[in-house]
This record gives sequence, structure tokens and C-alpha cells, in this order.
Amino acid sequence: MGTLLQQIANGLIFGGLIAMVALGYTMVYGIIQLINFAHGEVFMTGAFGGLAVYSWLLPADVQQIWYVALPAMLVGGAIVALVIALLMERFAYRPLRNAPRLAPLITALGVSVFLQEAMRIFFPGASSAVPFPNAFITAPLHIGSITIPASGLLMLVVSVVLSIVLETYVNGSRMGRAMRATAQDPDTARLMGINPDRVIVLTFGIGAVLAGVGGVLYGSYIHNIDPYIGFQNGLFAFAAAVLGGIGSIRGAVIGAFVIGLIKNLADIYLPGGTAYDYVWIFILLIAVLVFRPQGLFGEAERVRA
Amino acid sequence: MKAMARPLIIVGAIVVIIGALLPWATFVLNDGAYPDKASLEFFDAPFGLTSFRLYLELLGLAGLVFALVPLRDRIRVLKAVGWGSAGIAVINTLFIVGDGGGLGAVTVADGHSAFGGLAATVGAALLLVGAYQLPKAPLAVIKPRLPFWAEWLILLVAFVALLLLVTETLTAGGHSGVSDPYIGPLFLSYLCAAGALLGVLWAFGVTKWISDMSERHRIFSIVVLLLCAVAVPFTSLGNDYWMTITANIGVYAATAIGLNIVVGLAGLLDLGYVAFMGIGAFVAANLSGAVAAEFGIRLPFIVAAIAAGIVAGIFGAVVGSPTLRVRGDYLAIVTLAFGEIFVRVSQNNIGGLTGGSNAIPNIPDLSLFGAQFNDSLTIGGIQLPGGVLYYFLIVLLVALVMFVFGNLKNSRIGRAWIAIREDEDVARAMGVKTGKLKILAFMTGATLAGLAGAVFAHKLATASYDSFQFNQSVTLLAAVILGGMGTIPGAVLGAALLFVLPEELRQFSDYRLMFFGLALVVIMRFRPQGLIADRHRRAELADEDVTGESLDDTAIKSPVAVAGVKEAGA
Repeated sequence: MGTLLQQIANGLIFGGLIAMVALGYTMVYGIIQLINFAHGEVFMTGAFGGLAVYSWLLPADVQQIWYVALPAMLVGGAIVALVIALLMERFAYRPLRNAPRLAPLITALGVSVFLQEAMRIFFPGASSAVPFPNAFITAPLHIGSITIPASGLLMLVVSVVLSIVLETYVNGSRMGRAMRATAQDPDTARLMGINPDRVIVLTFGIGAVLAGVGGVLYGSYIHNIDPYIGFQNGLFAFAAAVLGGIGSIRGAVIGAFVIGLIKNLADIYLPGGTAYDYVWIFILLIAVLVFRPQGLFGEAERVRA
Repeated sequence: MKAMARPLIIVGAIVVIIGALLPWATFVLNDGAYPDKASLEFFDAPFGLTSFRLYLELLGLAGLVFALVPLRDRIRVLKAVGWGSAGIAVINTLFIVGDGGGLGAVTVADGHSAFGGLAATVGAALLLVGAYQLPKAPLAVIKPRLPFWAEWLILLVAFVALLLLVTETLTAGGHSGVSDPYIGPLFLSYLCAAGALLGVLWAFGVTKWISDMSERHRIFSIVVLLLCAVAVPFTSLGNDYWMTITANIGVYAATAIGLNIVVGLAGLLDLGYVAFMGIGAFVAANLSGAVAAEFGIRLPFIVAAIAAGIVAGIFGAVVGSPTLRVRGDYLAIVTLAFGEIFVRVSQNNIGGLTGGSNAIPNIPDLSLFGAQFNDSLTIGGIQLPGGVLYYFLIVLLVALVMFVFGNLKNSRIGRAWIAIREDEDVARAMGVKTGKLKILAFMTGATLAGLAGAVFAHKLATASYDSFQFNQSVTLLAAVILGGMGTIPGAVLGAALLFVLPEELRQFSDYRLMFFGLALVVIMRFRPQGLIADRHRRAELADEDVTGESLDDTAIKSPVAVAGVKEAGA
């Protein structure tokens, strides 16, 4: 029983991380139908941005004070991720807005490889895993029989809060309405006086900030990062977005928690253990796509003429 | 500004010529003198121009001649010359700066001056600016049809020239596996010069003329090309090192053509394609009698290869079956998920079939009439390098795959695939059995990949899950798209570029993946239809009509018609 609860807790924490990345995938896909493969790399640059702030900008005595250091790192990571994502949108994706669908997908793969390699080459010491400081309270929490690292709990809380804020923003605000309108029908939205470019930039920006924050929190939870963390976690996040119904915010978050739980439960309870947890996630993904292609919460794909 | 075009070009060309003659580096670089005494004063080596300085000199002269001689279609010729020389100048200048330690190396240091690189760069820029000012002209077309024997002769010469160009390109910088410290920039310079040459030929309509001719004499061209491929071991590429590289290119080219069926013809994006190659490799490895194999049997290679193809084909049908319900991007995800599952499962050595992280090593070498495939071979007194039999086997494989692809493309099935690619709903309405055909596309592609995998396993003598990861799938897909979707030469060219460049650019090996990513982005931006585009696809992707004329140009002539076309395309 204790193991089960522990695995559920770990699963929720991991799900929280994946959710922050999955939101970027799902929002960008909802608006311009682009699978932004490079989004995992945005997450990775966010983590490195946070590390850069910690090791180069913060004086040694401030590094120890978590309520100063952690917010600074989060802001730094978010800004780096934001800049990268906006540059990517402007120079790689925007020129291809009207290109056939394969073109932006290949571009996304190219951007992804480029960012991984550029980070590996130019960030000092990044050719192997770089230690990441635990910038939050180090003492783990004991609840009953289970143990949760404080940084893990923080990750879960931040993720849930940000998801709720985002959902409220998209459903309630004027700009959120513009986003939904653009997602539904870009041409009509334009006729209604919405500037699609602004909406798209905003979407990339929000996704990047979430991913950047996620990157920093991931670093302080796992304690080391490397230039390839984006690929693996991006893949999970992407699976989560598809599972929940790509384009749906709530779906992405729930999909992320489902994936987090399955991964951690599969480690213990499914045949093969940790070696096969990936396999179960992808089998689930395929099953969902085949039997409910629109995902758990997505709308059925409309066929446009 | 238009009047300035010719003077600009002439000045640019002269500056390029002077730049080629000036010294290029002020001091001896870290790895020794820069090739061909590029750091010496001009007077030391006035006629000793070789390598990249020779190319620049020739390009500069060509620019000068073409600017002065009355030519109908000058703009494309001069653009090719301009881009070629700009490429050479910039690459070498940047390399000297990067490798030789700063700007001092290309300006003035220690009382020496070396403005060759900067002068050539400026000259090339002037040339380009001038070339772009020139009035636009329609593409030159060479019409005359010659008697068939003359056309055969021309084709023969053209293909032999192509073979020499390819071998020269590969060995540019004069190495055969031994690393010359300057191999990278020299190779790139050669590539720029060869590109400029091809560009000039294209501008004169020569490439079109020859490709039309080879279209008319299909069988003859195929035979000659095959002979050229067989002749490779007898050229300067005839050593162990290049036999391995060319064999690898061949395997990946065969796989890329298989992928081209799925992506290029049927329009189904497959992001886990390399898994089928992996399945083929593991099946062949297990049936090869290797010590680590699960089954202790040794089947003849032909049987093992067919088994590999069949098993991969069955998996292809399994992976393809979601296509009945899943479309577009979602399908891409299913294939990606399948690829990841394959990697994980084979990493964990499922059922003892894949060897896990130990791989399946020591797959026995193939043999034919007692000749081991990895040994060198002597035919009629000529010593052929080791691995030459593998090379021949792979040429055979590529020919087989091309044959399958070519016949399918022009068959009823191929047309149905293209119809599905263009519009699935319309295709279904027209009576195309879309479900069956999509699964068939996956099966065919997977079978070909399985065959390639079987050869690959024997050539490498190991089958390891590490060779079949996601980035390999991406590279294959990039090869197909870079070369041009839906065409055979495109897939071969793409595979060759993506698997040769890393070999040639070992020197920049740390940066090469980064540039690979950047190149994908740039190609998608400026030439999404690929280097060798299928005619119909080019019409779709680049807003060009079938003759290659830009639709934007025709817009001036008949705005209404073009509006109609664009509407239909949107």
C-alpha cells in the first residue's frame, strides 16, 4: 500500500512537469496545427537559462536564500525560453505559414536538433550532464508512509496553479477569446479584426514561459540537466497533449497526469518494470489514437474542403 | 540601378580574380601551411594556383567573360558564378579566421598582409549584387534532336562525367580515410565550384537537355548508370574506406527510396521508419548463425533476407493498420510511438532476440563461391579493395528498390497513392480503395527497409538497437525531403549528402549536427520542394507551373487565370 501511494505521488509530480510542457504543444497545435517538435528544446533552454542565472548572476551568499534565488532562476529561465521561442516563431515558422504541412514539421525537427547541439557546444560543460542546484527547501516532506521532495511538491503545485490560470485566461479574457477564435477559423477571425500574428506570437510566448518555468523546476527536482532532456520529456508531453485531445488545455493537463501515473505505476506493477514503462505509455497512446483519435477531450477532426 | 549591373559584375569579377591571387593567410596556421601556399605572397606562386584558389580564379574569369560576351540568358549564369565564388570565399575566410586565430590571419599581422579572402568576398558580393540587377529572362531551352547514336554518345559522356565529378568531389582534398587537416574547407570549396558549374550548365539548358534525352532513352540510361555504379571501385574511390562509406550510402539510399513510397507517393508521414530496417537487421542477424543469435540456425543469405523483408512487411501492415482510422499528424504520431516502442523493446533484449545493449555481434561474413565479402578481390590482375562484394550487393539492392519504386509509381497502384496524397476523400469518392492501399504502402516500404536492414546487418557484422533510433528516422526523412519527395534521384542524392557530408566534415564534427539542423530549416524556407523536385509536386509547393516558370511572373500576363490557380491551390 505504501509503495502504491508513493508511486502515485511520484506519478502526480511527474505529471505536473509534463503538463507544463504539454500546454505549449497543445496551444500551438490548436492555433496553427503545427506539431512544434522543438518545444521540448524550449523547455531545455529554460532549464539552462535558470542554471545560468544561478551560477553567473547570483552572488554566492544569495544563492543559498531560496526565496530570492528560485524566483530569479524561474524568471531567468522563462525569459530565455521566451526569447528562443519567439525567435523560432519569427524566423523558422512564420515564413512557412502557408507552406504545405510537411514543411513546418521538418523545420521543427531541424530547430530541435539545432538547439540541442548549440546548447551542447556553447554552454560550458554541457557536453555531459550538468549538476543543477536544488534551489528550494532541501528537506523532503513525510506524509504518512510516503516521502515527497519539497521541490517535487512545488512542481506539482506550480503546474496546477498555472494550468488553472491559463484556462481562466483563455476562457475569460479578451485575448483568450481572440485565441479561441483564431483556432476555430483563422480567416473569419481576421475579418473580425483579430491580428492572427499577434495571437500566434502570444501563444508561442505563453507556451515558452510555461516550459521555461517547467525546465527550472525540473532541474531542481532531478538535480542535473543535459541538452537532451528536452527530447524525452517533450515526447512525453506531446503524448500527453495527444492523449487529452490536442488543442484542449484541460485535456493536456489530464493527459499529462495520466501519463505520469502510468509511467510510475508501470515501473512497479506492469511486466517488465522500469525497462518497459515507455513501451506502456506509447501503447496507450496508440490505442487512444486508434479508438478515439480526437483524444479524451478533443473535438472530432473536421474535414475542411 | 539597372545600368550599373554590368559594371558591377565586371568590377566584382576582377576583384575575385585579384583576391584569388593575393595571399590568404598572414601566418602559418596551426595545422601547417594553408593548402597550396595560400599564405605565400602572390609573387612566390603566380602560376601555382590550385585547389580553392584555382576554382575562384576560374569562376572570376567566367564572370568576366559572361559579363562581356553577349548572352541571352545572363542572369542565371552569373548568379551561379556569384554564389559559387561567394561560397568559396566565405568558407575559406571563416575557416582561416576560426582555425588560425582571429582577424589578424586574414588582414595584417607580423608585417605580412593577406587580403585574399576579404577581397574575394567583396568581389563575389559585388558580382551577386550586379547579377541580381540584370533583367529576367526565360530559361534557355536546347531543342534539337540528334540521331539516336549521337544521343547515346552524349549520354554516355554525360554519365561518365558525372561519375568523375562524384569521385572527384568525394576525394577532394586528396584523402582516402587519412585525415588531411584542411579536408573540410577544401571539400566545401570543391562542392561550391561543382555547384557553380552545374548551375551554369543548368542556365544554358544543358542539364534539361540531357535529362530529356535520358528520358527518351530510358533503358540505355539505366544500363549506363548501373555500369557507372559498378565502375566506382575501379576509380579513385577504390579503397577500403570509400567502399565502406559508399556501401553505407547505398543502404541508406535504398531505405530512403522505400520511405519515399510511404511519404513521397502516398503522403503518409512516417516518423519511425528506421524501425523496419531494424527489424530486418535483427531477423537476418538471428538467422545468420551468429553465436549470440537466439536461433542456432544458419540460413542462406537470400532466404534470410527474404524472411527479413517479410517480417518487416508484416510489421509494416500492423503499424499501417491505424491508417484506417487515423489521419495526417496523428498518423505521424502513431508511427513515432511505434518507433520508440521498437527502440525500447530491442534495447531490453525482448525474448533474447535483439541482444539488448550487447547487440548481436559477429554476424558471419557473407561468402559467394568461396569469396568472403569483406576480403579484397582480384579480377583479371586488378586488385579490388576489401568490401567490394558488399558494394556490388548493395548496388544490386539499390537497383532492385529503384526498380520496384519506378514500376509502382507509374502503375495503377502508384497513381492511386498519389491520388490519396492529394486528397483522400476525393480519391475514395473516385473509387480508390484507400484503406487497403495505405496499408499496402506501409507494407511495401517496410519490406524494402527490411531487405536493406538485412544487408546492413551483414555489412556491419553487428545488429544493435542503437543504429535504429529516432534521429536516424529523422535523417532518413530529411534525406527524402532534401532530395525531393517522390523522385528516385532525389532520394539517392539526399541520402548521399546526409551520409557523406558528416564523413567529409569530420573536422567540424562537433558542429556538424548543429549545421544539419540549421540546414533543414533553411532548405524548408527556400526550397521546400527539394533539390530534385518531382514536376507535379514542384507545381504545388513552389507556386511554379510545370515548365518551371514562376507563377508570379505569369501573373503579370494574366492575373485572372493565376488568381484561379491560387484559389484552387489554397
